[in-house]
Amino acid sequence: MGLNYQLVLWNNHKKTYDKLIVLGMLLYIILFAVVTLVFNSETSIETLVIRAFGSLAIIMLHIILVIGPLARLNSAFLPILYNRRHLGVSMFIAAFIHGGFSMFQFHALGDVNPIYSIFISNMDYGSLTDFPFQVLGFLALLILFVMASTSHDFFLGNLSAKTWKRLHMMVYAAYALIIAHVFLGAFQQETSPFTIGILVFGFILVSSLHLITAFKEGHIDTAKTEEKEGWLKVCDISEIEEDRAKIFTVEKERIAIFKYDGKLSAIHNVCKHQGGPLGEGKIIDGCITCPWHGYQYLPANGQSPPPFTEKVATYELKLDGKTVYINPKAFEEGTEVNPCKI
Amino acid sequence: MKKNDEFYVSYIDRSLGPKTKTTLKRFSIIALATIVIGALLFSFFQKPFKNSTFELTSATNITGTYYEKPYPMLRVEVAENTFKNILLLGFGKSSANPYLEKLQKEVKDLNGKNVSIEGNLIYYNGKTLIQITDDEKVILESSSKKRLPEKEVISKMTLTGEIIDPKCYFGVMKPGKGKIHRSCAVRCVSGGIPPVLATTDKNNISEYFLITDLNGKPINKDILEYIGKPSEITGIVEKMEDWSIIKIQVSDIRELDKKSSIY
Repeated sequence: MGLNYQLVLWNNHKKTYDKLIVLGMLLYIILFAVVTLVFNSETSIETLVIRAFGSLAIIMLHIILVIGPLARLNSAFLPILYNRRHLGVSMFIAAFIHGGFSMFQFHALGDVNPIYSIFISNMDYGSLTDFPFQVLGFLALLILFVMASTSHDFFLGNLSAKTWKRLHMMVYAAYALIIAHVFLGAFQQETSPFTIGILVFGFILVSSLHLITAFKEGHIDTAKTEEKEGWLKVCDISEIEEDRAKIFTVEKERIAIFKYDGKLSAIHNVCKHQGGPLGEGKIIDGCITCPWHGYQYLPANGQSPPPFTEKVATYELKLDGKTVYINPKAFEEGTEVNPCKI
Repeated sequence: MKKNDEFYVSYIDRSLGPKTKTTLKRFSIIALATIVIGALLFSFFQKPFKNSTFELTSATNITGTYYEKPYPMLRVEVAENTFKNILLLGFGKSSANPYLEKLQKEVKDLNGKNVSIEGNLIYYNGKTLIQITDDEKVILESSSKKRLPEKEVISKMTLTGEIIDPKCYFGVMKPGKGKIHRSCAVRCVSGGIPPVLATTDKNNISEYFLITDLNGKPINKDILEYIGKPSEITGIVEKMEDWSIIKIQVSDIRELDKKSSIY
């Protein structure tokens, strides 16, 4: 949890995660280079670097994009989500090497500024097959740069979780730009059903997982309820597991209703750190613990335990027999609300 | 969401349960398998590269007769009465002219004079070019004028091919043609490197034509929009020893809606 910003502490899980990233990247580059040099030895070193790092970056981006929905569908994937930023920054490094070499190779040492050259060397903006695909790659690289350079908690804290999340949702714009960059560029000249097939498969996989997740989560937001004197019916108390929560949507805002120690408490579902779903968290040491990065909040007041300062909105609950009801009006973030005794 | 009794928190020791560990192992294996398959597919299914050469790290000294018709060249005797005309280029995406200016000022007219040049050779398919990186390495060997190659008019022809920048095509880049390389070729020609029409016939035999305007003057900026695209070009073809020249009017270039077939 972030109060002061300091160098990231590497625990064993992070070390294993990062070792796997480095191993995967090295494995890719070495395999790509060996196969190219054995079967196509007339290559040039610049082309080898551009192609190896470009294709590595796009494969890494697909892996990054499936982690989110997989973690939404099965909480066992959450530890991968926890360090996804490391994977994102590593992917940016691969993309930057690809982009940097390409910019130098194709646009530097000429009669105009290399960045200006990207935009004006091919002016067929009105054609699909002749479209200046390098512009798309450059714009994607800019987005990835902004994301990679703001991936530290310092920016997360200063930009606010909402802004930071919006900024990092631009990965989907970058993905669209990169897919267009490859299909309107490399695949116009290097047409193999296998390489095109792997990207088509990747696109179908990424889109399907996102659609399945959206469909499953849609049920949370569209569940019908009954109103009784300003209180909304949530569920039977037996539907909430001990130390866990049920997520309930009121006026497009998700609320996490936790059951613990013979009590019920409700807080806003969105973690202040990175927007993680608190309702998929667990009560640990008396605190609601976010499943993404372990940020904690006290159930009764939605405040992070001192010295931390994050706080979320709280809600009032009541029990009528075994039925849980919620007052949809949110209290100010961090407002103490007496837990509803079971 | 599929419920998992285990709950991982990075700062809590031993919170990574066995079910989660198994899922993570499976994910890691699938991710690494994807990496391996991706590397194999993307590397194996590349089109063959041609055996063109750019001697970036080694310098060669050549001596011959300098001339501009209209692009700077050096006529080098490679065997008795056998000459090779080597196209002169500058560093990066630039013409050789800035590297020749100093000597040209000294001798006024360099045409026909014996000059030695040290630079990086570029060669492929019978054509040789040299990159000059330092004007101090362009030296006048003799002021006596020598015979220049004659141009022989062949006929008016309509040729199909692709306009390339010869520096990249003949060795600096792989591939040095087509859509991927188009922007670079545009910069090279814009920077003063002579445009060349590359054609390949049904028997896979390629021919190369230096492109000039109808008056035999260099064309650079006017031709940029046609570079790197399959095109049909009509012009007057001339032969100048081991090089061909095509004199054209840029408005006579016709873009073809087909894939590039040059090599």
